[in-house]
Amino acid sequence: MAAMPAPPAAHDQPAGTTRRDDSMSLLRNLVEDSLDEGYARAASRREDGAPRSRTTVWVLTGGLLLVGLLLTTAFVQTRERAGSAQEARDALVAEIEDRADANDRAQRQLDRLRAAVQRDQRNALELTGTGAALSDRLIRLEGVTGAAPVVGPGMTVRLEEAADDGGADVDPRTDQTDDGRVTDRDLQTVVNEVWAAGAEAVAVNGQRLTALSAIRSAGDAVLVDFRPLNPPYVVEAVGDPDTLRTSFVGGFGGSYLQVLQGYGITYAVEDADRLELPASAGVSLRYAASTAPSGGPTDERDDKK
Amino acid sequence: MIAAIGLVLGIVAGLFLEPTVPTWLQPYLPIAVVAALDAVFGGLRALLDGIFDDRVFVVSFIANVLVAALIVYLGDQLGVGTQLSTGVVVVLGIRIFSNAAAIRRQLFRA
Repeated sequence: MAAMPAPPAAHDQPAGTTRRDDSMSLLRNLVEDSLDEGYARAASRREDGAPRSRTTVWVLTGGLLLVGLLLTTAFVQTRERAGSAQEARDALVAEIEDRADANDRAQRQLDRLRAAVQRDQRNALELTGTGAALSDRLIRLEGVTGAAPVVGPGMTVRLEEAADDGGADVDPRTDQTDDGRVTDRDLQTVVNEVWAAGAEAVAVNGQRLTALSAIRSAGDAVLVDFRPLNPPYVVEAVGDPDTLRTSFVGGFGGSYLQVLQGYGITYAVEDADRLELPASAGVSLRYAASTAPSGGPTDERDDKK
Repeated sequence: MIAAIGLVLGIVAGLFLEPTVPTWLQPYLPIAVVAALDAVFGGLRALLDGIFDDRVFVVSFIANVLVAALIVYLGDQLGVGTQLSTGVVVVLGIRIFSNAAAIRRQLFRA
């Protein structure tokens, strides 16, 4: 043992034989000298008869106090940090919900005010003979453009996403398996085919579509006029009750739905006797000025859609 | 016996005083914890081996914590702080493991 050259920490290995793991002395040291050498030295000192002072018990007490303090401090800190992160998250979620509620309230107020304006406008126009004609025209135009709610017979197309897909807990940035999802493109195609089948007014999940509407996506959410929709998606269309459904199902729309069904998306196309479609959230022209003889540029100042 | 009271007192003080670690010390807290655990397991093993020594335990604990913090501090200044703290954690982790294994062998003879 004494003959062994380098590392000072020698082990119960007969001198002369080389260990197979000699080349890994660093690792071996790590694993085998796990106990602090000081303990062995102190033990051998004690055997030599060196006196043990009585104060050491206080040293040990202080040391253990430090150990306990350090470990609990780390524990408490970690817990606190996790707690504050959770709190911040909850606060943010609550704020989002508050803002969404406030948004909805403001939207409802806007709808109410807009309806009141339309009513007053109509009343004012009907005071004169030419005004009455204009009012009729206005009502017709508002129905066509989506500025006013409409009622009428038609059909509904209901798209339901596949039940077994990842759902909301899948990270939208990495989720590639969106097979069972209804995408913005699917909705665009269905809506286009509904228009092509002869619909006169279309709404998706209660969002009226106008000439300015866009169906887009942000992450996994489908947006109509920048408002996110939740599945299932219901396309309501007002049109000729005799031909609307047959020409939609018989045309490309029907075969497209068949294709979607292959991805697990279920659909239902039904006739409806009476559909009430709301007015669009915002019909306003910012740059285009109307050149119709009856009026100049609209002075409606709506929120940006 | 008195020493055990010290440990309990330390834990109680940590729980109730909730000392806040200053920001500049926070990067060293995990390292200090690992070093402390290493000292504790070393002490336990020495106790079972019958060669426990109070002074060695306390000195090795304080020195381990300080040296580990110093290594990480040095690494921070030289731009290899994260790597060095990984190194410290690995080395001390291996020591903790092999000490725990020795304790197990002592206790269960297996």
